[in-house]
Amino acid sequence: MSLLLPLISRVCSVSRRVTWRGCDCVCPVLRPPPAGLPCVLAAGKRSLPELPVLNEDELEEQFVRGSGPGGQATNKTSNCVVLRHIPTGIVVKCHQTRSVDINRKRARDIMREKLDIAYKGENSEILTRRKESVQKKQEKRRKANDNLERKRLLKEVLADSKSGSDVV
Amino acid sequence: MRGPLGSYCRRFGRLTRSGGLKWPERPCGGPAVHTCRAPALPPASITVLEAVALWRKHFEERGVTEPEHSSHSIMAHLLGAKTIESLEREKLTQFLSRETAEQLWELCTKRLSRMPVQYVIEEWDFRDLTLKMRPPVFIPRPETEELVELVLTDLQMKPGSGMGAEAQCTCLEVGCGSGAISLSLLKSLPWLRTVALDQSQDAVDLTRENAFSLGLQDRLHIHHIDVLKDADSVVSLCSPVSVLVSNPPYLFSEDMTSLDPEILWFEDHVALDGGEDGLRVIKQILTLAPQILANHGRVYLEVDPRHPPLIQQWVEARVEELRYIQTQHDITGRPRFCILQKEK
Repeated sequence: MSLLLPLISRVCSVSRRVTWRGCDCVCPVLRPPPAGLPCVLAAGKRSLPELPVLNEDELEEQFVRGSGPGGQATNKTSNCVVLRHIPTGIVVKCHQTRSVDINRKRARDIMREKLDIAYKGENSEILTRRKESVQKKQEKRRKANDNLERKRLLKEVLADSKSGSDVV
Repeated sequence: MRGPLGSYCRRFGRLTRSGGLKWPERPCGGPAVHTCRAPALPPASITVLEAVALWRKHFEERGVTEPEHSSHSIMAHLLGAKTIESLEREKLTQFLSRETAEQLWELCTKRLSRMPVQYVIEEWDFRDLTLKMRPPVFIPRPETEELVELVLTDLQMKPGSGMGAEAQCTCLEVGCGSGAISLSLLKSLPWLRTVALDQSQDAVDLTRENAFSLGLQDRLHIHHIDVLKDADSVVSLCSPVSVLVSNPPYLFSEDMTSLDPEILWFEDHVALDGGEDGLRVIKQILTLAPQILANHGRVYLEVDPRHPPLIQQWVEARVEELRYIQTQHDITGRPRFCILQKEK
């Protein structure tokens, strides 16, 4: 089921730099770095420690508001934000909330995660964490299997000794 | 009698009772000539998805704008969620109880009359707040979320922000409507105090309700004042403020008639109509600004895309103590916000 509205859209280049200030939402303040350098944030919140910082000049943002003047002259409830990272072509769509402002911020959070995967591949935060989690599960399973095997061998030994056969 | 919908009330013959807060419970609104019969509730049980699809079809057939989104928003609201995307997959295939189905039919029938979704479900979100909505009080637009962002950016960077400076920081909002701007600022800045005005008693009442719901009533003073008619009261209201913010009526009178029915038939026209050039209320605010603002205090306005150069010209010619700082664009790239500063 398509949840995106097929309205007339205006693709606009957001060339101004926007500094997001914290309200109670999740994302930290993002300051655009000097042009062209996707630098790494210092370790801060556990949720977003080393994701690339976004450069607003490299982003193209699209918000469906119709072809009219917008503002007071329009009352639409659709609030889907589409964010495109020009250098990589990665596109993020967000309509998670009823606030355009929050959808824009979340779209940027998601973009940072996608860029992280794109830049670092195997070494990206998300994939690394996933790998760690999978490894932990495998380790747990291996230990459980070892324990079961040990118990089985012990049972065998005890059974043999009872039947009186020589145990070497 | 001139009610909250101003001079349009006689033409369209639909009004709340004078000063009344309740909207008449009619399935059809507006001057529609065709009969508007509400679709019947189906006899057998239907699932959430089936109900949503059925109402999308009804809306499409009747020419209701945003048929799918309207259906989604109303259904989600009834199921206790903000968006349909946030509902668990299993919920979508569950059957609606008779009671929920009846509630859905009642709300969607209101939407059939072109009542805005925000009035149908009596709430909407603005940034990180959920606000009560009630006709004919103006519904906040997404552009205005950016206006708040602009003010916050400046206030959070204020030089010398220490106890002294913060304790004196007051904001004045002209035309508060549902309280969106003021309450958003107060929520984000625990040290801020705000005075809010509106010419509509309905708006003053709704802003007060929202302030109480959010626990922000102690830092917000609300007054029923018309800035066009009672300038003296405005000036004497508060000691010099650091910020004057407004989303004033800025539509051109001639553009009012081409508005969607959602706006024309349900929202307060006085909150929209800015006169022949859309600048009537804006000019009054800017004329009064030097008397209200502390030195270096700023005005933040949301305006029509045609306004910024006109405002800059006018201020340079007519308001000596105000300096035009900059124009900011909204998310669609339209010139939308004007920032000015008092310079003695």
